[in-house]
Order: sequence, then structure tokens, then C-alpha cells
Amino acid sequence: MHKILTVAALMLFTLGAGLGVTQAADKKHKAVYHLNSADLETQKDVLRNSANHIAAVGKDNIDLRIVMHAGGVSMLRKAKTDVDLKSQIDDLKFKGVKFEICQKTLERGKIDYKKDLYDVRESDLVPSGVAEIALLQEQGFSYVKP
Amino acid sequence: MSQGKRFSDEFLNAFVDNQLASEEKSRAFVEISQDENLNRQVCELRKMHDLVQHAYAVPPAPPTSKDSGRGRARINLRFGVAASVLLVLGIAVGREIHLPTPDLQPLAVESVTTGNVVAAGNRRAVPADPRGNAGEAKESRVLVHVTSDDPARLNQALDDIEGLLTHYRDAHQGARIEVVLNGKGLGLVRADTSRFARRISQLQQQYTNLTFAACQNTIDRIKREQGIVVRLLPGVTVIDSGMAEIMRRQDQGWAYLQV
Repeated sequence: MHKILTVAALMLFTLGAGLGVTQAADKKHKAVYHLNSADLETQKDVLRNSANHIAAVGKDNIDLRIVMHAGGVSMLRKAKTDVDLKSQIDDLKFKGVKFEICQKTLERGKIDYKKDLYDVRESDLVPSGVAEIALLQEQGFSYVKP
Repeated sequence: MSQGKRFSDEFLNAFVDNQLASEEKSRAFVEISQDENLNRQVCELRKMHDLVQHAYAVPPAPPTSKDSGRGRARINLRFGVAASVLLVLGIAVGREIHLPTPDLQPLAVESVTTGNVVAAGNRRAVPADPRGNAGEAKESRVLVHVTSDDPARLNQALDDIEGLLTHYRDAHQGARIEVVLNGKGLGLVRADTSRFARRISQLQQQYTNLTFAACQNTIDRIKREQGIVVRLLPGVTVIDSGMAEIMRRQDQGWAYLQV
């Protein structure tokens, strides 16, 4: 009798644990890509790596952010005239990637995001790109610097 | 056996569960202490009571197999409670295995024009005044890794570090920033080569939560390969290995940033 009850209790506990794990397992991957370089090749690397990352895990399974500050913001300036760059950015946005732009950089460089940059909304701005990267890591995002 | 009938099962259960009035209880105490059978019965009940309370082990069979319909109902109820506790506990443990940190939604990007700052307070699930919350929030810890010796990039790196420091200061949020210098990056804090000695000194004076940490391995390598005994700027600490420090800090939950 004792044994049966012990086994039953264990099974119940295991069932509970299993349920808990299943509930938790559907969490998304989280990654933050850091772009602070003005170099076009590095910027294209970031876009390419992001696209590959999404292809590897599926667009519905990942929350991917590209945080731009300092020289990195220039990618969006180039995208205004570079069709290839533009389409890569559009494609990533379509797949759910969030582009975050450092407000400090805009102020320092006197950049008007509405006029000077490609497809930026007010909601894409963060007060400090660097602090945003730290914050996202505190929330469980993995840091990637191509 | 007839003595055992002096108290009903229900009465004994109530006694064990400490649900009796005090006179009743003292009467029961006297009776039970004088009766070995009764004593044993109560002892068994107590044991079961304790086991059920622990919710893990299995209670022994009820002491009297006959005439204990009510006792059994009581036991069944306890089993139910114990089973529910186990199930909930299991779910909690299961979730915990996969959720080392609380499940927080990454913050929505804040509008700067409204004066909102991405402060630590926003990380809480409850959206509250970020400034009000920021003071109580956990300290942010960021390791900044400097790897370049290009003056333009070093200048940018110092801008980034200062920006981070002012950000946390303005948000009234506790923060620690450690700048790790190894390889080419060491040049930033070498007394003989750095172009930024004055700026670094200013930053150190202004922010006590900022540390510069130079890699001993790199210092040793420069001595070995170039015969130069590296002198560091004042206030720069030395760590055994830059790479090891980066790993250690990330293990400790620090954010990592390469500039």
C-alpha cells in the first residue's frame, strides 16, 4: 500500500514537472545584434548574420533586435539610396526584426531620423543604444557582435 | 479493546489536529496517558498527521480498520490536498528549470520626446513611473571590452562608456561598469602610449562606479616580445586574464559589450 502511494506521489510530481517544462519550452530565442561600425561590409554582415540566424530557428521562434549607435546608424542613411541594402532591411523587418536606433547618436550627429534615415519611426528610438544592449542582456537576450 | 472505544475516531483525529477545546484536551491527555492502546492509537494518528503535512511520504493505514468511515473520508481529503500540493509543486519546479530568470517582456522602446528613460524600473512587469522605481531596482553591471588601438575607435569607445555612465546616473539607477583592456586595447591605459590619459582621469574622478582593468597576460606578452615594461595610468587595476575576466563576469550575470 505504502509503495503504491509513494509511486503515485512520484508520478504526480513528475507529471507536474513535465507540464511545467512544456509550458516553459515554448519561449522564444532572444538575440541582440550590436552594430556600431560605419563600415558597409560590417553592416552587411550584421544583416546577413541576422537573416541566417532567423532561417536557422524560424522567424516565429525568435525575437531579434539590431541595436545601432555611433557609426552603425549610417547604415540607415546609406539605405535611402542603396536599393540592395533597403531590400535586405525590409526583408528582415518583414520577418519581425526590430531595428533600434540610439537617440544620443542622433542628437550628437544632428541627424533627423525622419529626413536622413530610411524608415525609422519614433518607436524605433532608444535613449542610449549601449544601455539598451545591456538592458536586453539583463532580460535574457544573447549578445552578438558580427 | 473496549477501552479503545472510549473516544471516537473523530475525537482522536481532532485531538491530533489540535482542534479540541482546552478542557477536553486535558481530559483526553490524562485518559490517553493511562491507556496503552489509546496511546498507541494516538501515536499512529500523529505520525500520519505529520506525514501528510510533509506532503511527500505516505501516511500509514488508519489505526482501526473497522468503524473508521469518517476517519477515512478525512484521510482521503488530506490525500487530495497533498496531491494538489505535489502537482502544483511539480509544475513550479518544471517551470523553474526552464526559467532561471523571471519571465519579463523586453521593454517596449520608449519615446524620448516624452522624457521617458529606459530605466531599470521599466523592467518590472508593472509599468510604473520609471524614475520612482529606478532607485529600488537592481544594479546594472556592464563589462565593456576594448580591443582596438585605433584612436578614432578608442575615442568612440570612451564616448560610449561615458554615455552609459550618464545614462544610468540620469535614470537614478545603480550601475557598475568595468572596462576590460587586453591585446591592442591595452594601449588605452598605458601611461607611455595613451592619448586619452586626461579624459580617463576625468572619468575616474567623476564616476566611482567605473573601473579600468588591464590584462596581465598582455602586459607579460609585451615584456616578452618587445622588452617593454608596461606602466599603467593611475587607478587602473590589473586582472590575470582579460578573456577569463569576460567569461567570469558573464557567468556572474554581467552584460557584455564590445566597442
